[in-house]
Amino acid sequence: MMSLFSLDRGGWLFKVYDRNKKLLAAVAAIALIFVAGQFVVSSFLSLNQVLITLKLASFIALFSLCQMIVMAAGGAGLDLSVGYAATITAVFTASVMNGQNSNLWLAVLIALGIGLAVGFCNGFLSAYLKLPSLVVTLAMSQILQGIINVYTAGALITGKPSPVLQILAAKSTGIFPNVVFLLVGVAIVVMVLLYRTRWGATLFGVGENETAAFLSGVNTRRVRTIAFMLSGTFASLIGLLLIGNMGVAFKDMGSDYVLPSIAAAVVGGVSLQGGDGNYVGVILGAVLLQALLNLLVALGWGDAGKWVGFGVVLYALLAAYVSNRRGR
Amino acid sequence: MKILEARGIRKRFGGVVALSDGNLGAQEGRITGLLGANGSGKSTMSKIIAGVYSADAGEVWYNGRVVHYGNPHEARADGIAMVYQNLSLVPNLTVWQNIVLGAEEKTGPFLNNRQAREHARAIVDDLLPGLDVERIVDGLSPGEMQIAEIAKAISKRPRLLILDEPTAALELAQVKSLFLHMRRLAGQGIAIVFTSHRLWEVMEICDDTVVFRNGQTVATLDLEKDGRDPAKIIGYITGETARVAQAAYHRRENRNAAILRVTNLAQGTLLREISFALKKGEILGIGGLAGQGQRELMLALAGFYPDITGHVELDGRRLRLTSPAEAVRNSMLLVPGDRESEGLFLRHSLFSNIVFPKLGVRHYPLLTPFGKFREECRRTVDTLSIRTTGLDVPVRTLSGGNQQKVVVGKWLSFDTRVLLLSDPAKGVDVGAKRDLYDYITRRVREDGMSVILYASDNQELVDYCDRVMIMYEGRVVAILEGESITTDKIIESSMRVDSVREGAGDAAHH
Amino acid sequence: MQPTTRKPRWALSGVARLVVRPEYSSLLILVVMVAVATLLQRNFWSGPSLLLTIDAFGPLILLTMGQAVVLVAGTLDLSCGTALSLYTCILTFVMRTNQPASGVLAILITLAAAVMVGIVNGFAAGYLRVSPVVVTFATSFLWLGIALFLRPTPGGQSVGWFNAFYDFRNVSGLPAAIRSVSSFLPPVLILILLGCVFWYALSRGPMGRYLCAVGGNEESAYRSGINTARVQISAYVINSVFVFLAALFFVGQNQSGDARFGDPFTLRTIAAAVVGGIALTGGRGSIYFAIVGALIIELVNKIIFFANIPYAYGTLVAGAIVIIAIGGSQLYSGYSRRAMTRGRAP
Repeated sequence: MMSLFSLDRGGWLFKVYDRNKKLLAAVAAIALIFVAGQFVVSSFLSLNQVLITLKLASFIALFSLCQMIVMAAGGAGLDLSVGYAATITAVFTASVMNGQNSNLWLAVLIALGIGLAVGFCNGFLSAYLKLPSLVVTLAMSQILQGIINVYTAGALITGKPSPVLQILAAKSTGIFPNVVFLLVGVAIVVMVLLYRTRWGATLFGVGENETAAFLSGVNTRRVRTIAFMLSGTFASLIGLLLIGNMGVAFKDMGSDYVLPSIAAAVVGGVSLQGGDGNYVGVILGAVLLQALLNLLVALGWGDAGKWVGFGVVLYALLAAYVSNRRGR
Repeated sequence: MKILEARGIRKRFGGVVALSDGNLGAQEGRITGLLGANGSGKSTMSKIIAGVYSADAGEVWYNGRVVHYGNPHEARADGIAMVYQNLSLVPNLTVWQNIVLGAEEKTGPFLNNRQAREHARAIVDDLLPGLDVERIVDGLSPGEMQIAEIAKAISKRPRLLILDEPTAALELAQVKSLFLHMRRLAGQGIAIVFTSHRLWEVMEICDDTVVFRNGQTVATLDLEKDGRDPAKIIGYITGETARVAQAAYHRRENRNAAILRVTNLAQGTLLREISFALKKGEILGIGGLAGQGQRELMLALAGFYPDITGHVELDGRRLRLTSPAEAVRNSMLLVPGDRESEGLFLRHSLFSNIVFPKLGVRHYPLLTPFGKFREECRRTVDTLSIRTTGLDVPVRTLSGGNQQKVVVGKWLSFDTRVLLLSDPAKGVDVGAKRDLYDYITRRVREDGMSVILYASDNQELVDYCDRVMIMYEGRVVAILEGESITTDKIIESSMRVDSVREGAGDAAHH
Repeated sequence: MQPTTRKPRWALSGVARLVVRPEYSSLLILVVMVAVATLLQRNFWSGPSLLLTIDAFGPLILLTMGQAVVLVAGTLDLSCGTALSLYTCILTFVMRTNQPASGVLAILITLAAAVMVGIVNGFAAGYLRVSPVVVTFATSFLWLGIALFLRPTPGGQSVGWFNAFYDFRNVSGLPAAIRSVSSFLPPVLILILLGCVFWYALSRGPMGRYLCAVGGNEESAYRSGINTARVQISAYVINSVFVFLAALFFVGQNQSGDARFGDPFTLRTIAAAVVGGIALTGGRGSIYFAIVGALIIELVNKIIFFANIPYAYGTLVAGAIVIIAIGGSQLYSGYSRRAMTRGRAP
């Protein structure tokens, strides 16, 4: 696939012509996890398990798209507010939809509104005021959480998702979960947008060297703000999927996705400094992480084990993939 | 007495071979000059000797034994000190703290700051009297930073001192002063290895010369015995035996109307009420001591400062240069002074670098027209003779000269009215420099392009400009024309300050 | 020969320079905050009330001091909140109420754990040079997991004398003289002072300067022969020790461990450090101003409390405060930076 740009990265694993090797390694690792899991729990390496893993991983991968866009825009961009952006959308639109399809369009509009607003705030503070996005989005997630707290302090969360959302998020066509199809569709659109359009190449340029892009006539602050707005909007839309999947909305729906979304992006090869991003790698990263999560749960380690295992593996992956030891 | 002998050094970084056969020797009390194009391996050679890198093969013999340093600290402990091209100063510490950094004097477990201050003061006073060692490095000018860097290297009384392009940011006066100091150090028995792109510097201060090309040592000359023949040395550097005749740019008198009129351009304290006119088809140079606002003027004309004031007219139309987009739209295009931080997307391919500005041009469709762009890119590579293995290589693997061609090349297909060149030949080897200036002078001659050229090397101004503006402290203090464009006159005008002093206000800072 | 160095024309006079530096401006803000707090709470300066205030503010101060150290060294610690929880869990896991000696054992084991935590964080951030943001974000979940493993629900045991870390007066075995110290010098304040003394000693030696050097420009520091990995690992270990001290305080106060209570602290330590003038990019700042920053953040919270804002709004307001604090601080320091050095475009 010819892309508008090709990359080179430092570090001992990263080479342009090795990129395919890395994706293959990810696939191999996933297979390994399933095989290892089979030893633990006899039904681990089953079609059913694989499909469940793919379904859950799809949600992570969708959130990772938000991260990828923001990370690619440069300036150590991260969006930690995606979890609560999704949650707040789910909470607010639940009662609007009330189990009917008729108000779905309104719910989508609300989601877009929330996402754009959140994204704009994040983008403005990060790009125009030059505050570190890590802190900004973390604070934003707290603010969103606070809004939810205020909202639910008085009233219970009522409402159910529209059937369309439920079909999209929870149901399957044949054996394949619908959300996987959605992911594939989104992936194709994203790849085209990033690699074959002016906008995508501009985004990567801004992330790679903001000054050079600026001097070439690009409004870099606007590009970065738009990246955050896209991230926020997309996170909100994922919120609709979340409620579609769960059937109800509850206060912490989205927060478990934040760390995995960043992890999947990093494992998928997206550079933290910006300037690149390969969505296929990110999707594979999400699958890898979800498979690992399933393995840990199958081992019966519960909540504690889940986080320990996750943290350890992420640490190891970072050490292997992202470490930047002094070359001599 | 020979203190250093490096033989058969090989070094590769990933897929790129930096050195295939490096040889270098240095003797106590003598100054050895390293010459070579960007990417020839001379910088890598220096770094291997200083312990920053380790050689893949070959032998380094120093002070009576074979050495193998794991890091620069070990080399330093042995008496090898290096003054880096990209400075090794910590910006938030003071000058004296930097000078003793890594090797502080201690009383017991605590630092002895008083001794450190005195030590630093002594060294700095020798090099640049008046530089306050209590100043924070962040606030120094590039020249002062270079001096601090040099002070840091010699503070440990090294036996071998390696200077990697120390004169790049220095005034002529400071260069001469540095040379005096180098002679003094050599007189004390220190061996010095000195790199520079300015041939005259090497010829003036060095006793021996070693020339690198394509990762190999191609010549070792004793300048006293073998003589100082610039043509021969250039021949070794570029590998061409034919005389490198500079396409002498014939200065013509330009009677055209002005294409660009600038009146009272001002930006904070960096630029003060600059007024001038650029005639169509002319090459207007900007000269003066380093750091007098030349780079800032170029950036200002490119729209970098949103709060710029003043009146700018291009082709009769008023321009509000509050953003680079505005400048680009009006075909006033900038080749920035620091290509790595301002001009290139290092990890991206040559193709995407060259194509990037086109992405912002409105009438191109959303989906990029690949075929068209790749064809144009190929043409650019041809026109500028960019040496590369393909369009998709990352630009960070290209040599400095080729990188600079990429920076220029991205504007190639634009209909340029005014080309702003901010020190285009800095750190660029002789061959690439020639290609670049050939292209620029051709565009001026044939297409009537107008050029504003800032060059830190006065010789470039002399060779290529129709007129030269001299800047001092953010103002234009002189304009040289015709016969009076000589290096001597440029230097004279750069130093002359009486006609622009404001009076009492200045007494505070001199 | 005429030197060509020139002092910038815009160099401000001595006093003006002081005010405009971000660190000293935070002192001004602190004074304002204290004034407002005094106005809102009548008995702010009374003995018991002041003690309560110090006890409430103490933990954040300790944590921010630790965060300041890693920030100056050019890195960041997003795992300090969960590490705090972890240490309380370890302490209450090891201790047995009926065995006073187990307290000593618990302290030793937890201290060793803290050092390990610092090394794990520092190794990845300093030696492997992985982005500290992602690394400590990942390890924060690691500490959470271990804490949950030790203490799935809040609780655990603590020995009687451990209370000394909170209030001497609660410990029956101590002589009256020492116990009365608590009425004007609460233990947490002693811990803070210890921290200050430690930092002072550190800053007189090479390590203090190396921390600033590595934070200022890691490459330059390396080229000067500094072992940057070792310096950054040390920074993380020092940070861990401060977090450990805060954990001692909490267990002394509550006699229990909780795997989740430390989460909100992380963000607040960063906000406090930034407000105290410590640059997120590293190289600048001192631990004393970290204390100032923490005081400001806590005072703002107190003021909000006294202004009678309902509890449900708590998280919302906390998040908003962080943004305002950091945003304001950044704007201010951006202004002062421009006033002191060459003007640079966006």
